Amino acid sequence: MNVKEYISSGIIESYVLGLATDSERQEFESLCAQYPEIAEARNTFELQLEEQLLKDAAPPPTHLKQVITEKLAAQLSSDTSTYSLEQPEVPVRKMNPWKWVAAASLLLMAGAAYWGYTNQNKYKDLQAQRQQLESELAQSTAQLEQLNREAQILHNPDMKTAAMQSTTDTKVYGMVYWDSTSSDVYLLVNNMPQTASDKQYQLWALLDNQPIDLGLIELKQQKLLIKMKNVRNAQAFAITVEPKGGSPVPTSTPIVLSKL
Amino acid sequence: MSTSLTYEEKDLVASLRNKDDQAFGYLYDHYSGALYGVIKQIVGDVELSSDVLQEAFVNIWRRIDSYDESKGRLFTWMLNVARNAAIDKTRSRAFQQSMRQQPLMDGETAGLPSVKPGFEDFGLKKVLSRLKEEQRLLIDLSYYQGYTHEQIAKALDIPLGTVKTRIRSALTQLRALLT
Repeated sequence: MNVKEYISSGIIESYVLGLATDSERQEFESLCAQYPEIAEARNTFELQLEEQLLKDAAPPPTHLKQVITEKLAAQLSSDTSTYSLEQPEVPVRKMNPWKWVAAASLLLMAGAAYWGYTNQNKYKDLQAQRQQLESELAQSTAQLEQLNREAQILHNPDMKTAAMQSTTDTKVYGMVYWDSTSSDVYLLVNNMPQTASDKQYQLWALLDNQPIDLGLIELKQQKLLIKMKNVRNAQAFAITVEPKGGSPVPTSTPIVLSKL
Repeated sequence: MSTSLTYEEKDLVASLRNKDDQAFGYLYDHYSGALYGVIKQIVGDVELSSDVLQEAFVNIWRRIDSYDESKGRLFTWMLNVARNAAIDKTRSRAFQQSMRQQPLMDGETAGLPSVKPGFEDFGLKKVLSRLKEEQRLLIDLSYYQGYTHEQIAKALDIPLGTVKTRIRSALTQLRALLT
């Protein structure tokens, strides 16, 4: 390249006065490193400019030096660690890094608090769910145990069964399980209609046409099998509707009756 | 010719980087007037110019580590820091309002930019006054008012290449006048 032509193109003045574009500046800097003549020409112009401007100096207000010195002393003590982080010649206000740290910490704290809060809520929800499941499980276990006991009763080889049937409705029936060795009597009822509030079902055993009271039937019970009074011997079983509290002898015709 | 000065400048820069108060005092005593002169020509107002000089020296103090000797003299760097601070001030809303100055880019032919009045017979502008009016305007717009070549080309309705050539030629004439 023609160095002389480049030097006299006005690029030197343009660069020194800060009027060159970014690409012109980069090119000029690399050429300065390459061609000492260009760097020398730049230095010459800089000195000329400096000399001229020093000659033209306008004294600033006298108090200004004191003001600036104090301002710098205050800055030096407040942010000694940050001045070197400043970017060159970019008039942008920088935020003190500690402010970023503080802001980040606050965000982090807020995040942690929110996380803790939601976790606490989740924990409470889970605990409530767990308690509900536990009580449900306990209930199920109790029911299962009940069914197991009932199943054991039914599996007893000494157990005899007597089906009581309705003469009018086939869906309504009762089943008496009767342990011939222990004399225990269990009742299983199905589709028995609710009695009037002043009435109650009562189970009877029939032996030689004589009714034997086997007790009142509590239909509200969850149990599949209802334990009734023991009876040593029986030929048939029947359920009648009796006044609340029961009756020593049946007062109505049986709802269901087993075959004799 | 500049060997001894360059050496002194090296010492000065090293002391400034060590945040040496005395070095800063020397720097201020030596250069504040030259920088203040340029700032006044850009800003115009005396009080605002003092503010800008303050900002400039604070920036010089804080950013001395970003000064790169290989790219030029310390004074050139300081001059650019001061000029940037001054142009920033003229671009601030408060300044625009106080000066009732129309931005260059308004596009109205009535508000066509011109050489700012005042300080004509002073400092570098005195040298500039020996240039042709057209060249003076281009240097005033680019150097003293901080407009880019593109903005000037658009505002004066001159091709960008022409603006660049004319500014370059004005600058070489300026150097001739300084010699």
